[in-house]
Amino acid sequence: MTALLKTLFGDLRNCSVVGLLIIAEAAMIRGGWGESAPFVVPVLTLSGICWLARSRRSTTRTGPL
Amino acid sequence: MSWAIFSSSFIAAAVEWVEAYTIVLAVSLTIGWRAALGAVGAAAVSLVGLTAATGGVLALGAGLQWIQLLIGVFLLLFGIRWLAKAVARGAGLVAQHDEEEEFASTRALLKTADGRAAWLVAYKGVLLEGLEVWLIVVALGIGAAGMISSAGGAIAAIVPVVLVGAYLRQPLSRVPENAMKFVVGAMIVAFGTFWSLEALGGSEIWPIGASALIALAFFYILGGLLAIAVLRPRATQGVTA
Repeated sequence: MTALLKTLFGDLRNCSVVGLLIIAEAAMIRGGWGESAPFVVPVLTLSGICWLARSRRSTTRTGPL
Repeated sequence: MSWAIFSSSFIAAAVEWVEAYTIVLAVSLTIGWRAALGAVGAAAVSLVGLTAATGGVLALGAGLQWIQLLIGVFLLLFGIRWLAKAVARGAGLVAQHDEEEEFASTRALLKTADGRAAWLVAYKGVLLEGLEVWLIVVALGIGAAGMISSAGGAIAAIVPVVLVGAYLRQPLSRVPENAMKFVVGAMIVAFGTFWSLEALGGSEIWPIGASALIALAFFYILGGLLAIAVLRPRATQGVTA
């Protein structure tokens, strides 16, 4: 069960990045910054991807994607 | 037969079918066509069951936003992980996959949890796009006694989408594994970004509508390449295996 959940949702860092992205999206829309969201959210997403990629160096063993 | 309704439904549905086919094509390159088409079939059955269970445009329309958000979050969870791994491999932060070893384990992949997750991506993607096509068919067909024209247009739109997709499949299958997953990850993240933000902010949130999907995909591809270039020098100090 744990393995399935981890496969579906990823590790804690992956969930944290996506969770923060959704919170940022909701906050921007509710805060009246909806027009900026389409330009800001992709940049935030890419930043999260870079952080996840960089953090893999110290913790990751290669395996199937 | 109303050709105006038929052509409107054809064009609108084609956009949705392209989105669904893109997801299925991407997933099929990882878990194979048979499993991907199984996901399509399961999504079609679910769509029929969902339609029968809820009945009515309003019931489904009210829930579509939440389904869209749920699927958007799921795609982000999956796509971000893929893209981050591909960037890390491209930058040399972790070792590249051995292509022959990967090929040998492809069949076994279907039985792994990652194979199931990829299957779910195809399933949920087709389910959401199918719901949108259903709404298009109903919206264009109601009030004009043109349900047959509307449904006919939506069904006919599948043919060119599948033919073009089949033509593109062979060239795509020869792309190296990490490069392929890099692009697939970027596409899935693009879909996840598009759907999650549209679910929260409404369809008018994207200034250029569905074309934003293409822009997002290019943004993540170019951004990922830039990330590889930036992270690569950092990898020279040590690569994990």
